[in-house]
Amino acid sequence: MKRNIKKLIFRWEFALALILLLEIIVFGRLNPRFLKPRVLFGSINDFVSICIISLFVTFVLITGGMDIQAGSIVGLTSISIGVLWNDFGVNIWVACILGLLIGALSGAFSGFLIAFTDVQPMVVTLGGSFLYSGLAMVVSNLSEVEAYKGISGFPQAFLAITKGRINGIIPFQFLMFVALSFLAYFLLHRTKYGRKIFLCGVNRKAAEYCGIHTRKVVMSTYMLSGMSAALAGIILTSYLGTAKTDLGKELTMPIITAVVLGGTSNLGGKGTILGTALASLVIGILRFGLSMSGVNTQYLDIPVGALLIVSVAIRSVSSNDRLVSFIKHRFKRSYQKT
Amino acid sequence: MVISNPAHSEKPTVSARSIHKSFGSNEVLKGIDIDLYPGEVLALVGGNGAGKSTLMKILMGIYQADSGRLFVDGVETKINKPSIALANGIYLVPQEPMLFPNMSVEENIIIGFNENKAELRNRLKDTIQTLGWELDLKRKALTLSIAEQQLVEILRGLMRKSKLLIFDEPTSSLTFNEVEALFTMINLLRQQGLSIIYITHRLNEVFQIADRVVIMSDGLITLNAPVEEVNHEILVRGLLPTNIEYQENKICSIDINRECKPIFEVNQLTGYGFSNISFKVYPGEILGIAGIVGAGRTELVTSIFGKDDIINGKVILDGEDITGLSTHEVMSKGLSYVPEDRFLNGMFRISSVAENTTASSVDSLGHIALNKKREKEITNYFIDTFRTRVTGCEQEMGSLSGGNQQKVVIGRSIATKPKLLILDEPTRGIDAAARADVYAIINKLRQDGMAILIISSDMEEIVELSDRVLTMYSGQIVAEFNREDVNHDSLMAAAFGIVGGKV
Amino acid sequence: MNVANNGKQSKLKRTLNKLLHARELTSIIFLVLMFAVVGIINSNFLSVSNLTLSLNSSVVYTIVAIGIALVIITGEIDVSVGATLGMAASISATMVRDGSPTWLAFSAAILVGALIGLINGIGVSILKVPSIIMTLGVNSIVRGLIYVYTDGKWVENLPFDFKTISQSKLPGTGITLIYFSVIVIAIIVHLFLNRTQRGKYFAAVGDNEGGATLLGIPVNATRLSAYVICGVFSAIGGVLYASRVGFVTPISGNGYEMKVIAACVLGGVSMAGGVGTVIGASIGSLIMASISRVLVFIGLSSDYDNTITGCLLIIIVVFDAVMQRRNAVTARHERLRARTGNVNLGGIK
Repeated sequence: MKRNIKKLIFRWEFALALILLLEIIVFGRLNPRFLKPRVLFGSINDFVSICIISLFVTFVLITGGMDIQAGSIVGLTSISIGVLWNDFGVNIWVACILGLLIGALSGAFSGFLIAFTDVQPMVVTLGGSFLYSGLAMVVSNLSEVEAYKGISGFPQAFLAITKGRINGIIPFQFLMFVALSFLAYFLLHRTKYGRKIFLCGVNRKAAEYCGIHTRKVVMSTYMLSGMSAALAGIILTSYLGTAKTDLGKELTMPIITAVVLGGTSNLGGKGTILGTALASLVIGILRFGLSMSGVNTQYLDIPVGALLIVSVAIRSVSSNDRLVSFIKHRFKRSYQKT
Repeated sequence: MVISNPAHSEKPTVSARSIHKSFGSNEVLKGIDIDLYPGEVLALVGGNGAGKSTLMKILMGIYQADSGRLFVDGVETKINKPSIALANGIYLVPQEPMLFPNMSVEENIIIGFNENKAELRNRLKDTIQTLGWELDLKRKALTLSIAEQQLVEILRGLMRKSKLLIFDEPTSSLTFNEVEALFTMINLLRQQGLSIIYITHRLNEVFQIADRVVIMSDGLITLNAPVEEVNHEILVRGLLPTNIEYQENKICSIDINRECKPIFEVNQLTGYGFSNISFKVYPGEILGIAGIVGAGRTELVTSIFGKDDIINGKVILDGEDITGLSTHEVMSKGLSYVPEDRFLNGMFRISSVAENTTASSVDSLGHIALNKKREKEITNYFIDTFRTRVTGCEQEMGSLSGGNQQKVVIGRSIATKPKLLILDEPTRGIDAAARADVYAIINKLRQDGMAILIISSDMEEIVELSDRVLTMYSGQIVAEFNREDVNHDSLMAAAFGIVGGKV
Repeated sequence: MNVANNGKQSKLKRTLNKLLHARELTSIIFLVLMFAVVGIINSNFLSVSNLTLSLNSSVVYTIVAIGIALVIITGEIDVSVGATLGMAASISATMVRDGSPTWLAFSAAILVGALIGLINGIGVSILKVPSIIMTLGVNSIVRGLIYVYTDGKWVENLPFDFKTISQSKLPGTGITLIYFSVIVIAIIVHLFLNRTQRGKYFAAVGDNEGGATLLGIPVNATRLSAYVICGVFSAIGGVLYASRVGFVTPISGNGYEMKVIAACVLGGVSMAGGVGTVIGASIGSLIMASISRVLVFIGLSSDYDNTITGCLLIIIVVFDAVMQRRNAVTARHERLRARTGNVNLGGIK
């Protein structure tokens, strides 16, 4: 029993949970309003897109890939739904489903190229980020509405999905996030498919020698990530009430930050959904708490960036024996001198 | 332990005293004392895990010893990084070539030097001419074969005019002529007064090229003697850990019923690296394929396994044509392959033993959800049956010893219940004790009726395990032996393309 | 084994051969084609003044791309160059607006760029933080610091002298002095990387890090210097940006990192490291800068800018990867075929 507790404490997810707790306590002290459940849970509305997308970008990173196009897919989906509903008279729910399809196809396109040729994921998704944001502009031009205005006036039912709260406290978005976390957890850690994803990430060649369809597996992770971006696009459109082409433009960095902070290695083979989920909450709450304490919104990325670097550096240094012994040696010498 | 002191009048070029090195709780070097003298070729022999590579990396500054001292020309020297080793005249020619793929041969060789480029180029040309090798200096390194890459690595060492040159298994990918040229050159260097460490698994080479032989076993030196004082038998005995009974050839000669149908048949198969290959394998039989590196054996089986195109011919498994099928399909038809390079292609280093064991049979572990209980059952079954030494199903694969890793990989391959199991260099990188275990496993499988194809460069292994042996050379089958006919010499000769008459 | 090449081919022929196989050739061909096609559709595009305008407008991309190419060649990445550019632009603009001489503002900007590069370099080389993460974090931090420094306000009313720096032309041509200087810098860096021993370390580190260590090449120092140089060049780009645009906002330089990475890729620099030249990066920068201008000339709105860039990037990179795979497989097959078939079954006793 004692050994199990010890194992638990040294896990990275535990550290993340502690950080989250610390944040809540500190911000609560600084501004008591922060601790009101309505406020605390309500904060997720600001950053739910990051949370949702990073869950599935985790899949991509575990196979050793990289995805920096998710932000663009958010905008593409948003404007597509807007144009379909506004200019083509498509039912809003059908438009949402088509939006998900668009996300899947976008992910599939890049994923296909990455899986079936030897291109580098970073570069293809870089191209993808240009392409899909460009396509968003093209789609927007199909509409009579000017691009900068965005499309609004959506049906109440659509807008309501992000406005409601359970007991007046917990927003629907939070539930969506929790539900998706469970789904992602199940998919990645409890299914045969998830196991194949890990194996492809740990050693692609060996996975092929085991008869695993590594290409299909890799391509599918990009489809999942694309669909999650589409879903985030739908949620954002509903929450803001407007469909715009540049929704999600600034999301790429925070998403990757959340995934990596959560313990996923960009080399592949390692990562957990719990870690990503906690990390995205840590980042989101950090930003929200700071802004509630009066910090200018534009400064918020500084602590996030610092947190990212410090946490990864600590992990990296502690696993680097040579550096550890070097530090110990230096420390011992200066200690002995006194 | 046989140590006879050399009657050397000179001081050693490089010496090591009481070298200890551990990785975590694993003690790899338990106190090494060694002297390298000028003008002497020292053959370093030892099984995997003996610590040879670690010791060489310490000499080269890649690792640092936990305790002990190094001396260069009698002066104590701390070798903390490769540049210090290089500055002291020590150079390691690695076993796996570490070239820069996008640079030319010439750039690869002269990079890192501070001398005048024109002078370097001339010196390089002279060196190549002296060796009698032919090498296009302008070619990009990524187009070179492994053998050619190895030549480039050797040239790097030669150009550095080192005092101590370390060759780590230099001949593993060389042809006969290239090996001869290498030996000529080593003799030349010896005459010039260099110290040379020559690491090899090929005992014949020890007698051809070395002045002195050192055997390392389990982190210690168990023999250090002039080569005249040892023979083949002494070497082999020195290589085995002392507490293992040397298993005599205990293969029960089961009479294989050749009347029954072969479970696997290859007909006039031609592909990249092999041509006109035909053979059959019967259930309950072990067919060995012998040959030197480059004979085309791995290319043959990986092409059958779906990793490369087949140009001509047929492959038939249990009556079904599986020519040209993908890896996944071939496996589902009942063919399993344990890859040659365990580290690169065979195992999932950071995954657990359980995950490794079930990697080929993931689809059988339930419908959508992964049945972890079943996974544990399968894993424990193999751990028990193979007597794999692990702390549990969850132990990380990378922390197992080579032998235990191989057991897990073999377990994974038979978890799919194949009709034919192909093993490619099954005991490479495994110490003698685990090797005996693996042989026992293979024999048990054979007794249970599985058909097995073994590729090995280890002649003794082929002799010990096979019911029949094929020898490949230059992509073709040049000889076939039955158990009764096979012996070490005829196998070796055939592997080098020399066929004709019984020896 | 191959026949030794004992200089039988004349040096000229060899150089020609090398050029033909250069990756940069594809980029140049593409550039020429692009200009040619646009020129056919709209002949105004091919006027000298317009062509020189294209060159001049790519100056900021080019200098930053040279810096980041160095980092990519060593096998790493730097996504903080946009933030460094923005910070340098803000600092230099603020200083000249408040009366400092240009040279002082320039030096201060360079110093800051070098500092940022140093931090990146230490994180990646010494602390062994993966480069994408380190530079991502630094990017976030510097972006925030820009707001702190400028208090969220635009930096305007820059002195006339400062703004004309980017206008002065090379005598006799329409090419700006700064673009000319940047090209000279590109050539110098290229010669350094390709002709000097120290310079070759960069590609060596990116090509095979383990091999480089074994040869005693100072891997960490090489990577560190790549990052510092990248920081410095990004900072130079920032000063040039401030001078050209005439004012600086807190979001200046946003997204530049993606554009210059794309420029490098278009110019034949491989993200895997070890391959590519700064000349190629310069050509790629020209392509990137020209795309939006090209669109105007053929009558497409600039809305299609991103779409075209994205398609181009994907096409080039996929094409390159497929070609490489093809070549590798063909080479392997040839080697294997050569091995088989020389069997003398007569036997020697």
